[in-house]
Amino acid sequence: MLRRTLLSTALAAATLPLLGGGARAQQQQQLYSSLHVFIPAGPGGGWDGLGRAIEQVARQAGLVGNFQFENVGGAGGTVGLPRFISQRRGREGSILVGGAVMVGSVLANKSPFGLKDVTPIARMTTEPGIIVVPAGSDIKDLQGFLDALKSNPGGTSVAGGSAGGIDHIVLGLLLKSQGRSAKEASYVAFAGGGPAQAAILGAQVKAGISGVSEFAEQIKAGRMRALATTGETRSLPDVPTLKESGIDITLGNWRGVFGPPGIKPETREGLVKFVTTLHGLPAWKEMMERQGWEDAFLPGEAFEAYLKRDEAATAEVLREIGLI
Amino acid sequence: MDAWSGLAFGFGNALTITNLGWALLGCFLGTAIGVLPGIGPALTIALLLPITFQVSATGAFILFCGVFYGAMYGGSTTSILLNTPGESGSIITALEGAKMARNGRAGPALVTAAVGSFIAGTIGTLGLSFLGPIVVELALKLGPAEYFSLMVLCFVTVSAVLGGSALRGLASLGLGLLIGLVGIDLQTGQPRLTFGIPELLDGIDVVLVAVALFAVGETLYLAWRHMEGKQEVREVGRLMMTKEDWKRSTGPWFRGALLGFPFGVMPAGGTEMPTMLSYYAERKLSKHPEEFGTTGAIEGVAGPEAANNAAAAGVLVPMLTLGLPTSATAAIMLSAFQSYGIQPGPLLFTSQGELVWTLIASLYIANIMLVVLNLPLVGLWARILKIPTPQLYAGILVFATIGTYGISNSVVDLMLLYGIGIIAMFMRRFEFPQAPVVIGMILGPMAEQAMRQALTISQGDWTTFVTRPVSLSILLLALLGLVGPRLWALAARRS
Amino acid sequence: MTGTTGEPGTMPGPADAPVPDARMRAALRRSDLVVGGLVLLLGLLCLWQAAIIPTTPLYAQVGPKFTPYLVGGMVCVVGAGLTLSAWRGGWSHTLPEVAEAPPTNWRALGLLGAGLVANLALIDTLGFVFAATAQFVLVAAAFGSRHPLRDFGIGLAVTFGAYLAFDKLLGVNIGAGILEGIL
Repeated sequence: MLRRTLLSTALAAATLPLLGGGARAQQQQQLYSSLHVFIPAGPGGGWDGLGRAIEQVARQAGLVGNFQFENVGGAGGTVGLPRFISQRRGREGSILVGGAVMVGSVLANKSPFGLKDVTPIARMTTEPGIIVVPAGSDIKDLQGFLDALKSNPGGTSVAGGSAGGIDHIVLGLLLKSQGRSAKEASYVAFAGGGPAQAAILGAQVKAGISGVSEFAEQIKAGRMRALATTGETRSLPDVPTLKESGIDITLGNWRGVFGPPGIKPETREGLVKFVTTLHGLPAWKEMMERQGWEDAFLPGEAFEAYLKRDEAATAEVLREIGLI
Repeated sequence: MDAWSGLAFGFGNALTITNLGWALLGCFLGTAIGVLPGIGPALTIALLLPITFQVSATGAFILFCGVFYGAMYGGSTTSILLNTPGESGSIITALEGAKMARNGRAGPALVTAAVGSFIAGTIGTLGLSFLGPIVVELALKLGPAEYFSLMVLCFVTVSAVLGGSALRGLASLGLGLLIGLVGIDLQTGQPRLTFGIPELLDGIDVVLVAVALFAVGETLYLAWRHMEGKQEVREVGRLMMTKEDWKRSTGPWFRGALLGFPFGVMPAGGTEMPTMLSYYAERKLSKHPEEFGTTGAIEGVAGPEAANNAAAAGVLVPMLTLGLPTSATAAIMLSAFQSYGIQPGPLLFTSQGELVWTLIASLYIANIMLVVLNLPLVGLWARILKIPTPQLYAGILVFATIGTYGISNSVVDLMLLYGIGIIAMFMRRFEFPQAPVVIGMILGPMAEQAMRQALTISQGDWTTFVTRPVSLSILLLALLGLVGPRLWALAARRS
Repeated sequence: MTGTTGEPGTMPGPADAPVPDARMRAALRRSDLVVGGLVLLLGLLCLWQAAIIPTTPLYAQVGPKFTPYLVGGMVCVVGAGLTLSAWRGGWSHTLPEVAEAPPTNWRALGLLGAGLVANLALIDTLGFVFAATAQFVLVAAAFGSRHPLRDFGIGLAVTFGAYLAFDKLLGVNIGAGILEGIL
């Protein structure tokens, strides 16, 4: 609904000092007098949330004097990305907040620009996926689900987010692991978390895939049964990861920070130093806990390598389901 | 806690000075953003989220609920006075409301909207307090197949009253369906009718189309036919409703509320469908059908406004009882819950009973505050119509700009606004009805997605729509609506 | 999209003085024919766009093309129906509003159009406040206002007020232009 939005920080700037005044963290050395944060999505979403969390922690710690936000949403980030690339090329003091969704949308929308055109700084957070079935389902565990996929992929309807998104890719990879093709998936796309959850709770579909936090409470209440999560480590104490169960799939809805294209190596170093300092602050730990985010900090070159692997896996599935 | 003791506890908590203050602030903010086009409750609450770091959970949620209910009140004001709906739930209100305002009945239109909102909001909140968990369990039984059948029922209801000419009504509906198709297909991820423009990949916003059709199209048409030197004089008229108005509004208020609440509860329901159904139901039931679409019928404002507010209360039911966000606003409120470390889910009522009941109690309070806040404002708002024609229409276009460009910062959106406005101008000249465009645009995508979801689940078996009992019953109802009146007429002629 | 081509030219109103009734009806019929044709064209456009949606090997019972074909087909049939009805005499001559309408006010339409274009052209460079003010002045002039300076003042106050309300109260920045940059 809300697309391509430009937000200033006026509200946060005006209200927070008034309302806050509480826990003032120890002041750090200021790294940027002003930092421009470009969000290729509307306000209120995950990328916007990460951007604003960075603002809040960095400003309170005195790392950055002033923040300017620019929200240009649309088409999974591919509307905003070209604007960031052309307007900020080679400039200092500017970051883009993006994530896993963009990898898929860049490929699927055949966008002329991609994450290869910006400078990876760091992966900050991740939200692994989770595979669930309705509480009354005959499928008792992951093996049961995999068997169902193997013997009758068409009859095993799975609910999730929009086609070609992370949930769909997880299902595609699972099918491939069972010697099936991703295009055989009986994938039912829903526009939002609410309707998808309702379809699972009402047992309209056989299973569902989404981010862990979306389903966690339904699982706790016993209305859904969790089969597996897709992270590198367990997200819920008694739910195994796919990796533990012998399936080599790790995929998460990660979010991270990028710099403009064509920046000098020392500019990049500066940004990496900024996010590393930020990540080390106790206030950041607190923020992640409060937001329920999983730490997935991965700076610099390591992030760049991760990005390449993520792109390859995504491209493979998208090609198979015919989206690229 | 059962409902009664919960409510008693909640009122005790909500009636403190601080919490009343939060409710008042929320109502005020909500009304203001409802009046401003383009900014809805979802965005406002998203922007207010940072206060969750400083304010107690109870205070913040009372504020948010005030904003949510207040936006529903404010949204009708611009629909009626300026023909520019602020959010999708008040598009239908503009159909009759703007016509009433033009014919000197802005006051009664605003009053019936406010009182209707109050009554429906209260009925909806009562439903939330006492029926919530039961209704939502029933709603979960509805799958994509049932939603598709429901959409068919909507199409049948709506098409029975397409306006003067069936051909032109269908052309308008077709245009709406076509606009609704633009964007990435949810089920397969393929772009459709986007002409390679990335800004179109997310589809076209229904509020943008409504503002273009109603406000921009109207302004262009008036300029086309403008006579130099002739000043249009608009009557503000009497502000309060007459006895007759009250009599004509009462039925629509209650029918609208009863229609709106269940749709709000449904996970794929929303506020648009019930407002539409209420409008066409009132049009059929009214004793003054000649006023619809001409001088403006008060039933056409009272019903949809009530439906809109009752649906808004209904949306809170799955959110509070199951942790299901069925609208953008609910989704953002859920993330606010999370930043307090409260996980909204099936356990919320038991684990956070105090918070939930305080919140529900504050909804009753917000409702009373809003009607008290809004009724005295009616006179002030209605005076907007006294603005001379040149400045009024110039102002309306500035408003339309704010609504589209203000949030999106996209010139493409402005071009769409003006392009559809120009089409609307010609539609007006050739008497193509405008409402079917909006209806097609809202119902079309919902119907298509529900149909395809149902067919994926049934593995391509089309009989899924008639073998599921609820779906079948809805389809039979639609069939009855289609052939019933004809059979009735036939029987009447024979006897 | 379509529908912007100039019927107004073919549209002599009754106030155009002594036009024979038959000639007016013929003109109205022509304009109806154009409308029918445009609706038909819209349907064809939809069918063409449906045809170029890439097919996917995805397991989807009903693909992405089904509904566009359905809608396109429906619009084509309706367009053909409208064209036929226009051929048989059209419907415009039955509309009371058309019969009573004053002649096309080119000055007002032109000024209003200029206002819209000014807004589109200036909003990205000069920013919302100035672009919308320019639009305000031109639109007010279109509706017969003779005080451009006063309108400029009012427009500036309205747009600047809106800017402040959005920026300071809600933290939503309406565009970034010259004025917005200074503040």
